[in-house]
Amino acid sequence: MKILSKMGISTIASYRGAQLFEAIGLSSEIVDLCFKGVASRIEGARFEDFQFEQGLLAKEAWTARKPIQSGGLLKYKHDGEYHAYNPDVVNTIHEAVKTGNAEAYQRYADLVNNRGYATLRDMLGLRKDVQSISIDEVEPVENIFKRFDSAAMSLGALSPEAHEALAVAMNELGGRSNSGEGGEDPARHGTMKRSKIKQVASGRFGVTPEYLSNAEVMQIKVAQGAKPGEGGQLPGGKVNSLIARLRYSVPGVTLISPPPHHDIYSIEDLAQLIFDLKQVNPEALVSVKLVSRPGVGTIACGVAKAYADLITISGYDGGTAASPMTSIHYAGSPWELGLADAHQSLRGNQLRGKIRLQTDGGLKTGLDVVKGAILGAESFGFGTMPMVALGCKYLRICHLNNCATGVATQNEKLREEYFRGTVEMVKNFFRFVAEETRQLMAQLGVRTMEELVGRVELLEILEGETPRQKNLDLSPILSTEGIDAALPNTCQVERNTPFDNAEMNNQMIEMACESIDNKQGGTWELNITTCDRSVGARTSGAIAKAHGNLGMNDQPITFNFKGHAGQSFGVWNAGGQNLYLQGDANDYVGKGMAGGKIVIRPFDEVTFKSNETAIMGNTCLYGATGGKLFAAGQAGERFCVRNSGVHAVVEGAGDHCCEYMTGGMVTVLGETGYNFGAGMTGGFAYVLDMENKFVDRYNHELVDIQRVHTENMEAYKNHLRSVIIEFTKETGSAWGQEIIDNLDDYIGRFWLVKPKAANLNDLLTNIRSRPE
Amino acid sequence: MTDRLNNDFQFIDVGRQGPKKIDAEVRKQGFGEIYQDFEPADAGEQSHRCLECGNPYCSWKCPVHNHIPNWLKLISEGNIIEAVELSHQTNSLPEVCGRVCPQDRLCEGACTLNDGFGAVTIGSVEKYITDTAFAMGWKPDMSKVSMTDKKVAVIGAGPAGLAAADILIRNGVTPVVFDRNPEIGGLLTFGIPEFKLEKDVMSRRREVFAGMGVEFRLNTEVGKDISMQELIDQYDAVFLGMGTYTYMKGGFPGEDLDGVYDALPFLISNVNHCLGFEKDPADYINLEGKKVVVLGGGDTAMDCNRTSVRQGASVICAYRRDEANMPGSKREVENAREEGVVFQFNRQPVEVVGDNGKVTGIKVVSTQMGEPDENGRRRAEVVPGSEEVLEADAVLVAFGFRPSPAPWFADFGIDLHDDGRVKAPEASAYPFQTTNPKVFAGGDMVRGSDLVVTAIAEGRSAAEGILDYLEV
Repeated sequence: MKILSKMGISTIASYRGAQLFEAIGLSSEIVDLCFKGVASRIEGARFEDFQFEQGLLAKEAWTARKPIQSGGLLKYKHDGEYHAYNPDVVNTIHEAVKTGNAEAYQRYADLVNNRGYATLRDMLGLRKDVQSISIDEVEPVENIFKRFDSAAMSLGALSPEAHEALAVAMNELGGRSNSGEGGEDPARHGTMKRSKIKQVASGRFGVTPEYLSNAEVMQIKVAQGAKPGEGGQLPGGKVNSLIARLRYSVPGVTLISPPPHHDIYSIEDLAQLIFDLKQVNPEALVSVKLVSRPGVGTIACGVAKAYADLITISGYDGGTAASPMTSIHYAGSPWELGLADAHQSLRGNQLRGKIRLQTDGGLKTGLDVVKGAILGAESFGFGTMPMVALGCKYLRICHLNNCATGVATQNEKLREEYFRGTVEMVKNFFRFVAEETRQLMAQLGVRTMEELVGRVELLEILEGETPRQKNLDLSPILSTEGIDAALPNTCQVERNTPFDNAEMNNQMIEMACESIDNKQGGTWELNITTCDRSVGARTSGAIAKAHGNLGMNDQPITFNFKGHAGQSFGVWNAGGQNLYLQGDANDYVGKGMAGGKIVIRPFDEVTFKSNETAIMGNTCLYGATGGKLFAAGQAGERFCVRNSGVHAVVEGAGDHCCEYMTGGMVTVLGETGYNFGAGMTGGFAYVLDMENKFVDRYNHELVDIQRVHTENMEAYKNHLRSVIIEFTKETGSAWGQEIIDNLDDYIGRFWLVKPKAANLNDLLTNIRSRPE
Repeated sequence: MTDRLNNDFQFIDVGRQGPKKIDAEVRKQGFGEIYQDFEPADAGEQSHRCLECGNPYCSWKCPVHNHIPNWLKLISEGNIIEAVELSHQTNSLPEVCGRVCPQDRLCEGACTLNDGFGAVTIGSVEKYITDTAFAMGWKPDMSKVSMTDKKVAVIGAGPAGLAAADILIRNGVTPVVFDRNPEIGGLLTFGIPEFKLEKDVMSRRREVFAGMGVEFRLNTEVGKDISMQELIDQYDAVFLGMGTYTYMKGGFPGEDLDGVYDALPFLISNVNHCLGFEKDPADYINLEGKKVVVLGGGDTAMDCNRTSVRQGASVICAYRRDEANMPGSKREVENAREEGVVFQFNRQPVEVVGDNGKVTGIKVVSTQMGEPDENGRRRAEVVPGSEEVLEADAVLVAFGFRPSPAPWFADFGIDLHDDGRVKAPEASAYPFQTTNPKVFAGGDMVRGSDLVVTAIAEGRSAAEGILDYLEV
């Protein structure tokens, strides 16, 4: 039930018959009778197995002398449920990485590799009857390191020390570390401390043009294996001033990323986001992180067609303690299933050669790597293990900010005095894993990873111990049926280049590159059509890369457009880039903008009233962190979702305006839709409510509203006036002029919307102290 | 009502603080326990330092796998009775373990917080729980037990035997415990000095067990006062928990000189003397005013050191490895040092020297630490030409114990390992069954001399084996 609600299903009635869950380990006789239509891929327990197990349980229950078992589902208990990170595993790997002792690693690997049947891959063994080769013939560890990534863990979840140690270790090895979704301190850009993979997640925390232009890989986290259907969650206690600054938020406020990306509702939307990213940083690759679930193969094909360069299939058996228990236990699926599905589908659709596949989720040893490769993965993400290598003892208190090992806390004392992780420890771990991988490759007679990927004939299905395990049918995972053997098993291209080569952006960068390099302003005139997507992103990226987010504020480059702009106009706009558009724009205007100005006004020729007409599409300014947007017309749905610093004025907005907003200022000179200000924890808004409808339209949970015309609100009244004057000056809006001219008539109709927790006296001071 | 403790940072805000220890100068004057009791508020504050970590390393390291984080939480909430019930689910003698376990090598050594914060005071809380509950009148609840007509003879009232008896009676099988001594406890009573474990702890425990239905036949030695055959005939099964009593010898000249004593007779004679169990006053070994050298580095050596100090001797402890490689509990070394024992490390005895058949000193050589041996402890290598004589009036030899199999084992088909340990594997259909199906064994006599808590673990496990065997 909890999981249902996390997936966004609010009533039982709306779930009925949806069959969103997958049955893992149920035989078809049960599925057909009880759960007809539910996805079930690998067979499993029959009624007789359940009866047998119930019999055992009943026998024990009725034996008076056997005590009630103390469980061990959540925490390790002797004689209880098997835990993959049990004290033996953690202690031996600590010993191994601290001393660099190969014998200790071997003990660790034996503990993990011979753990019995805890996951699906434990039921797959390496074939023994193959011709092995000498280990000297196998490619060196350096080649294998390139295939290792550390999985996404944000700065915020981890302490800065741990986060940096991971980054340095991965960079020194030649692998890649992942920033997670909490942004990155610009001081780390361009150094060994940078994370080569920059994540773009639903909260869009810290996703600015500068952040993106410093990436080697930009990863869109569609979901996370350990908690599919949920966003990241950072408890307020861990949000200190550094974290808040990087995330454009307020210290002490819990940051919960929304379950969906507000700009992705379909595969076309995802394609647009991929295109946006490739425009802002043309040199980087785009990766899409998906979770293992039924149908992920089809999704993977869609992602490949949407021109992503990499796909990560994330499994359920990772996840740190910040993930809710219910999600870890009941929501994810094993990566073995999803990876095999994705690999097979991509090959079947002749797309495998265009994209690289990665897997993550509880990978611990070289054996896991080899099995992952055989099932189709070309690279590997490690999340929890490198953290354990840094000293994490798997305390499962990451959410309390009191991590005694200093890994997952922002508490200064714990970080300074008790964090003992070193770069060398992480490197030792990966070195051991790579060495073990090589040994196993030699045993299998395989020289390179490239050769190993997809070689399912090197695996054999083990019988299992219990009747339930014996009845599993893992052959679908190893199937190559119906696929032309000549089709590649690995990616054959450097990058997956989009069909649209973005003529407008090419033209703009050509015009402005000199001005950007020399930090001198300029103005250009251009015509624009709806085919021109992500306009301004290339120049923004170039500015951010050369001068940072706001470095060109003083010498702006200005583009004056005329026409109908395509999607993502002004996406990730950097400071110092001003875009003026006469005409109208599509969805995603100013998404992720960090600075500069976007001004949109109708054509001079039009006769309609701007305040009654839409001028831009949905999800504008999503995740924006700064800058200004003025639009003489109405915005679509989800305007300013996750805004954390932009200053926007429009003449009307759709539903969900200002949702999850954490900063900035929004003025709506007209009607709004429902659910205004849901989850809003920072910033404020002015809303002109001519029809007295707003009280019913805003979300009462976190925000309150008050009038602006009262005596004690004089400062706000003056501020509002200056906002409208600036808006009118920029757009020439007749409606804006009307309000200014008769402000006394209108002022009584304005509401000020602010988070309940925010102090009225501080709002204006806060907004003025912002650099933008 | 006080507010419930709720501080995620308790482990930083409140340091590790055990109950008060009596000052060394004062405690040297007598044989009383040196640790005072926890105040309830302190016990709560200290228990609340537990992080409740996802991998309870304490419980993992504990031989009986006590539910440590769970009862620490109960104590931080002030729930003594719930805590004592929980504590008894995994341990038959928690108040003993709380006193004599080397926690610094077990639970507290493994504690997550032992990495710089100071481990949770698990041992003291364990002791506090049971002592407090007993003081409140708590007794194990036997109301749900339905008795069978089965009876099991338990030979030896040491920790293994008592643990086995505890499990048996709780499952409706009557244990009858035979021991040659006048009080239960075995070495708990007669070996371990009172300053670690006061003897009314064992007599209280005897009353509790008796109240539960355990029958005791004290002052009864099997093989002398009653024959094994009688036990085999009269009982449904027999459990052997007879310990190891053969002392290891140093194997150097002069060990038979007057004034050289083995550790155990010395310790036992002292307890007998203090408790009035003495059969003959001449048995008492009095070291008052003497220069004593104790040989060895284990917990028994520490007991000898500290008992000698209390008798009024000046004590040197000579050990052949360095301090880091000592097998005993660090806490006991610390206590001994506080009480005035002088430690000389890297000193290996080679000869006891004497005059007229009486000890006058001990010749030692210096050693240095070499490569680790198969147990991971570093070997002591002799430094040539480093001989030296330490002056002494008495030498106490505490080199550990070897098994002491009873002569009648062979008559009943109870097989031994080459070193004298009884064959009773844990991993078998009936754990700890000997080669005689009706006879089970556990504790030191099976695994070789080891800790109290491992004996308890084996006794409990063997009792489970007996219950399975008896199909209870």
